[in-house]
Amino acid sequence: MVKLDDIKKECKSIMEEGKVKYIIGYRKKNNFYMSVPAFIEKIEEIDQLIWAPSCVYNLVRFLRDEKIRKERQKTPDTRPIGVVVKGCDSRAINVLLQERFIKREDVYIIGVACEKSGVIDEKKLGKKFSEKNIEQIEFGKDNNFIITTEKGKTTISAEEILAERCIECNNNTPVIYDVLLGEKVERSLSEHFKSLEKLESISTEEKWNFWKKELDKCIRCYACRSVCPMCYCDECIADSISLAVKPDTTAEEKAQKIRWVEKSPVSSENFSYHLIRALHLAGRCIDCGECERVCPVDIPLRYLNKKMEKEASEQFGYTAGLDPEKPALVSDFKDDDPQDFII
Amino acid sequence: MEEKFEPKIVAFLCKWCSSAGSDLAGVSRMKYPPNVVPITVMCSGSISPNYILSAFKDGADGVLVSGCHPGDCHYIKGNYYARRRIALVKELLEFIGIESERFQMSWVSAAEGAKYTEIIKDFVKELEPLGPQNKLRSNL
Repeated sequence: MVKLDDIKKECKSIMEEGKVKYIIGYRKKNNFYMSVPAFIEKIEEIDQLIWAPSCVYNLVRFLRDEKIRKERQKTPDTRPIGVVVKGCDSRAINVLLQERFIKREDVYIIGVACEKSGVIDEKKLGKKFSEKNIEQIEFGKDNNFIITTEKGKTTISAEEILAERCIECNNNTPVIYDVLLGEKVERSLSEHFKSLEKLESISTEEKWNFWKKELDKCIRCYACRSVCPMCYCDECIADSISLAVKPDTTAEEKAQKIRWVEKSPVSSENFSYHLIRALHLAGRCIDCGECERVCPVDIPLRYLNKKMEKEASEQFGYTAGLDPEKPALVSDFKDDDPQDFII
Repeated sequence: MEEKFEPKIVAFLCKWCSSAGSDLAGVSRMKYPPNVVPITVMCSGSISPNYILSAFKDGADGVLVSGCHPGDCHYIKGNYYARRRIALVKELLEFIGIESERFQMSWVSAAEGAKYTEIIKDFVKELEPLGPQNKLRSNL
């Protein structure tokens, strides 16, 4: 297991050399077991850093904010940003590099291998320890997690509270990094697309009923979009504000502006929004599971993206974020792509 | 008397092949059901998934996307891109529980007026037992 001291040591050395502007990592929140993103600007702050099963967030998201901030500054500090990434997050960086959104020299990647473990699912944890106050979660020996509650320490097998995406993950080691901490370990806890099996095997009507029930809950808070490291468009298709209004733009033109998705959270518009989002993430989603985690009404959004990931992998042999030099899924083709469905 | 259900089909046809194919069917006086609304686009590769979703949202019972045969694209490779993208849309629509018959893709060349009429005839036949498409229809 990766030792926290190694991470701190690495951060300290790059900070002392002045290699990075700041480091984005994880720190503990006061009296609470979940970690929060930490922005380390001074060497003294490095002691705040932690590495625990509660480090669920995808910190690559903050690279987008940093890019926007940099563009607005007159004389920006051009040193790279240090960012602590897990295996899945490192693929997100690869996708951003592939799309020429960030440059390789803008980021100093501190890769942390999950090895045979992963991060927790808060909901699973909540169910197990509903009445006790959880103070801390740590990695234990033999893929166990040590949970400290007000009543004492409990050791629990990782698989019981591991997030579903971690159970299916086969990228536990970062694929792009400046420094790699931890060991490269092969592991497969479960088949890669196992969670989809149930949803794929039910009948058309059952599928519809399932998704209708789930997507009708959506309140269109756009938290899934806000948290997604891939959703970086300046203007989103769901916002429909992109009409250039000139003095001679008539009311009729404004009224007839094509809106692919209306703002009202009704069934048809929710379906449009989520289907378009899934299609825009096809071949880009790296399954960090953040959209599902932040959803306030618990829509299993991950399955939509996972389905696209599965088709990309099975039909076109494409996996997102493995090689930043390769063309993206939908901007490439092969002569022998499957076409059995075409009449 | 109860009216027979007549499915509405929106067909996105590429300008260079499929649209010319449907024209050929017209000028050759071939008969095919009048249920289809053809929309000519410049290339099947220019069809965004948004077009398809908004067709369903505005009450289409079926959507057809048609382009040139592989290798025949006027823009050399537009239909290859379309093939990948439409495959993903089709899988996603099936995944959320839209009947797979409702969304189809075909290759129709400018000389295949007869094939175009056959496709429309079959499409209408397949849609009739399914009834109206109300799942994605706008409920604003």
